[in-house]
Amino acid sequence: MDLKRNLLLLTIIYGIIGILPLFFGSTQFIMHILIICLIWSVVASCWDLIMGFAGIFSFGQVAFFVIGSYASAIISAKFSVPPIFSVFLAGIVAGALGILVGLPCLKLKGAYIALVTFAVHMILEPILKGDIGRAIGTGGSRGILTIEPMNIFGYTFSSSQLVPYFYLMFILAIICSLIILMVIKSHWGNAFLALKDAEVFATCLGVSAFKYKLMVFALTSFLTGLIGGFYAHYVGMISTRMLGTDLFVTLMIMLVIGGIGKFPGAIIGSFITISINEMLSPLGSYRPIILGAMVIILVLMMPDGIIGLIQKIFPGRNREEARTIS
Amino acid sequence: MIVEIIDVIISGMINGSVYALMAVGLTLIYGVSKAFNFAYGSFYSMGGYLAWLILSAAFINSYLVVFILAVPMLLILGFLIEKMLVAPLRKRDDWEIKVMMITLGLALFLDNSYQVVFGARMKSLPSILEGSYSVGEFIISYQDIVIFILSIGGILILRWFLNSTRTGMSVRAVAQNPAGAQIVGIPKEFVFSATFAISTVMVGVGGILLAQKYFVTPTGGWDILVKSWVITAFGGMGSIRGSLYAAFILGMLEAFVGWYYGMNWVLIALFAVLLATLAIRPQGLMGKWG
Amino acid sequence: MIEIKNLNAYYDDFHVLKDISMTIEQGQVVVMLGPNGHGKSTFLKSICGLVRKTSGLIKYNGQSITGMGAEKLVNMGITYIAENRELFPEMTVLENLKLGAYSKNARAHSRQNLERVFSLFPRLRERTSQLASTMSGGEARMLAIARGLMSNAKFLAIDEPSLGLQPNLRDEVARIIKEINRQGITVLVVEQNIPQITELAHKLYVLEEGRITFEGSKEQALGNDHLKEIFLGM
Repeated sequence: MDLKRNLLLLTIIYGIIGILPLFFGSTQFIMHILIICLIWSVVASCWDLIMGFAGIFSFGQVAFFVIGSYASAIISAKFSVPPIFSVFLAGIVAGALGILVGLPCLKLKGAYIALVTFAVHMILEPILKGDIGRAIGTGGSRGILTIEPMNIFGYTFSSSQLVPYFYLMFILAIICSLIILMVIKSHWGNAFLALKDAEVFATCLGVSAFKYKLMVFALTSFLTGLIGGFYAHYVGMISTRMLGTDLFVTLMIMLVIGGIGKFPGAIIGSFITISINEMLSPLGSYRPIILGAMVIILVLMMPDGIIGLIQKIFPGRNREEARTIS
Repeated sequence: MIVEIIDVIISGMINGSVYALMAVGLTLIYGVSKAFNFAYGSFYSMGGYLAWLILSAAFINSYLVVFILAVPMLLILGFLIEKMLVAPLRKRDDWEIKVMMITLGLALFLDNSYQVVFGARMKSLPSILEGSYSVGEFIISYQDIVIFILSIGGILILRWFLNSTRTGMSVRAVAQNPAGAQIVGIPKEFVFSATFAISTVMVGVGGILLAQKYFVTPTGGWDILVKSWVITAFGGMGSIRGSLYAAFILGMLEAFVGWYYGMNWVLIALFAVLLATLAIRPQGLMGKWG
Repeated sequence: MIEIKNLNAYYDDFHVLKDISMTIEQGQVVVMLGPNGHGKSTFLKSICGLVRKTSGLIKYNGQSITGMGAEKLVNMGITYIAENRELFPEMTVLENLKLGAYSKNARAHSRQNLERVFSLFPRLRERTSQLASTMSGGEARMLAIARGLMSNAKFLAIDEPSLGLQPNLRDEVARIIKEINRQGITVLVVEQNIPQITELAHKLYVLEEGRITFEGSKEQALGNDHLKEIFLGM
């Protein structure tokens, strides 16, 4: 999709989301879900940027989210940094760890990257629960139970009044989306498209695959960590339960529904996924089974997601151009 | 102290042998079809649950029956899953990532089905052979000996299959040169499904063997997935010999780290060794680059 | 034996072969010439069931084989021998040959075909346990042809056998193709660096930009100045 169509779609999506509080502002439960949707839409978009556009098989997205949330909670508590700054510091911690993980593995082939990033996810739990974790203040397997709520210039966002929280996250999500869109449409995005089509050729042209991959890896880790920090201050308590397969797969369903490598798709995907997830919650332990089956069916039946469907129904200019070129 | 260290070495050898069986299965699918199976660990749990089911049937209490029933079941299941879930994706350009996703979905589906069907509580299996053999102070259980022999036996059967049967040779052919395999008339799709089925059996048998020592739980497969994966990457993805060495090296490492520092450190240590190895040799111990 | 009508082939969206028609009689040697990258390999692969997107009609002994995959065609006696050999590098010579006889039909004759191959390529007999990856270019080329013969083929499509071959081995390739043909195998070969092969040809075709631009006997080809100059170098 070209930039105009992308911007238009983003405007429509955020326009609709932006007026939702007018209808649901007084229903705490729905506002909470909307905030959660916004949070995950950013994480899913970041993952999409890595996997769909940059072609890096990273499975560490949840890990960086958790790292960000723990980092912000610990930094704000231990050094009494106001949450608004600790969230950024958490992003920097996550971004730095992203570089640390990316340095050895981004030169490797796809399946190795998948392994290393997934292993980061897997070892995070024993680290956070273990002696090292307790030493830095993760609270072990109990988690961190009291996290300072977000406040800006003396105004404290309270959990009884969710509309201001919603708009704070709303603005944050828009900023993140624009950053992601900028990356996709910039020189980086073109470089990735070239790398995906013909890595050898692109490398000959002087596109350094490693450099771009590392930059995008650091950027998405930063954004994911930042949102993770926001999440921690929003919900007020965190534990390693976030690292279970449940969240991981939910995040993946967002991508599958939205369409991998079809940018604003992940945002739509996250709203749909969270809604379905909430609707399924009365089913209790059958819910994750259904989620798993959903992944299987969606990947087989709707491999390009919602955006793929939209593109099929409204083939834009780009598609025709592509046809005439070939 | 000496006795303790010998115990640790033995435990490393036993676990290493089962890990070898499972890691070779994982490296085999990767080497042949470049597909990565996230549900590999769930097949491990499936092996354990199948064994538990068969053994809880009142009239059966022999592991021989378990193997006779479970192996064909796993074989058919693996074959069908490849045919239905993985094969349709192969036509797409981005099939690698789609395969990872669909198998991840399958893993979630299976693990939570186990939870619903069998409950969250862990199941324990009887020992395959009671009794032990002792020399002076140190004791080795017959169970461990049988597990070791069966894993090594499984690997030898695979070796025989790959080297001496027509289907086995065609599996190697596809791994070495898919285009060449097509030219001589090997049906690639069948080889992919067959390889997937064989690897399912290998990890399922691994599950049957290890379940006697470590219980069966709905999500116990994740640990196995990561360990098998680390082993194959450490040994060089696609290299069977590499996986064999890596399994024993890492099995031993796990035993010593677990004994000295505690089980919490095992994954961290494995991961550290893997990262260090990949930093020096990106293709792993015996893998080929490219 | 082989009858092709309006064959079209595509790689992704790229139209490689355009409306090719050709008839090959039993026992012939047909030589195809043409500049590189104009679709000669694609043509051979299309006949042998190795190109996914094709349209048109291909008949083999009167039966339509359009759209059939290689695993069926090899069993029916149609085999492709690749220009870049496509051997199994980590297998021995003997294993490569055995896999050449993978199809059902070939397995039944594998013993006599092995003898035949060894008498054609005595050097392979001495090296049965050598790994294919350790062979020289010339030996690997011979092994590729030998592996193709193991399929008990009635029709062989040989793609640029001279590629990567020392000049003194070219005579050898020509001799082998002549011998294979004498044993009753129909041969379609893409080759323009070995004049002796052109000598063998019952019929010549020139493929340019995906179309057949010349079709005729070698006498006719020699009479065509344009062809003589460009391809035959005579």
